[in-house]
Amino acid sequence: MKKLLKTILQIIAFIGIAQISDVIVQWAHLPISGSIVGIAITFALLQLKVIRVEWLESGSKWLIGEMLLFFIPAIVGIINYRSLVLHSGLWITITIICSTIAVMLCAGLVVQRLGRRNKEVVS
Amino acid sequence: MEGLFWLVCTIAVYWGAKRLYRRVPKVYLTPLLVTPVLIIALIEIGGVSFDTYDSGSGYLTKLVEPATIALAVTLYKHLDVLKKNAVAICSGVICGAVVSIVTSVEMSHLFGLGTAITDSLAPRSATTPIAIAVSRSIGGVPTITAVATMITGLLGLVMGPYLVKWFNIRSSVARGVLFGTSAHSAGISKALEYDAVSGSVAGIAMMLTAFITLAVAPWLMSWI
Repeated sequence: MKKLLKTILQIIAFIGIAQISDVIVQWAHLPISGSIVGIAITFALLQLKVIRVEWLESGSKWLIGEMLLFFIPAIVGIINYRSLVLHSGLWITITIICSTIAVMLCAGLVVQRLGRRNKEVVS
Repeated sequence: MEGLFWLVCTIAVYWGAKRLYRRVPKVYLTPLLVTPVLIIALIEIGGVSFDTYDSGSGYLTKLVEPATIALAVTLYKHLDVLKKNAVAICSGVICGAVVSIVTSVEMSHLFGLGTAITDSLAPRSATTPIAIAVSRSIGGVPTITAVATMITGLLGLVMGPYLVKWFNIRSSVARGVLFGTSAHSAGISKALEYDAVSGSVAGIAMMLTAFITLAVAPWLMSWI
């Protein structure tokens, strides 16, 4: 019960950081998203030992673990683009499939190749 | 009130899909694919508009940002791995981000998709808010970009594990870059299924991809 309460409080803390980040982005007219500002702020606070990692850990674990759920409504939103899907959907999908395969192979193989040469370190 | 029903419904279907996936871990049964298909079917049967659906379920979308920020904790915990592999990670992400833009544009031209769609597809490897910002600046349609970015995440999630297997990508760092560069947050969730290092590297890769797309896309688009 205590653990559940702790997780909920930590999730609320992350929501708070997100809101603050959005305000900063709007106020300073930054060309980047609130999530990147939020990551930077949280990371800096952890790195500077202002906050301890235990204060955010279980909330972070839950949010990341259930991330897929948060994308569902956006995907369902595709029903608003019926005509686009009917007209160009097939070609758009083929483009995305081929391009994504190219990106994955390029990124993955470059890192694997470089890692092997430099004796990549994985803890 | 109806919105609340759809919120509960989405969570319930997701929960069921997740349990199914745990029992039968086939790629095509991934909750990110099964849940929207079932929800769309329910919406169609019920004759409900997306706005009604989103009035309740939209609260879930609001959690994407806090969840992304939560990656800072993962990042902090795996800082040493990232530092030691900084050159490899950066090289992989730069190659991936550039390939993403170039291949999207070239293939769209090949298939005769109009300029608006082409420009909308170019930044789709970046995380949604960045992709939309870039799309707007190069003349794309933000809504098409949003949908294309979601499809990219979904396809990346489904195809990634096969590519990892076929091309024998064994290093956690390489897997992380593969998923984070190509499929943003959706990729991170998949990378986390391998191990924590893959997940945090994927987080880094997603951020770098966002920065590079933001910096390079407008310039690259004037060349190709």
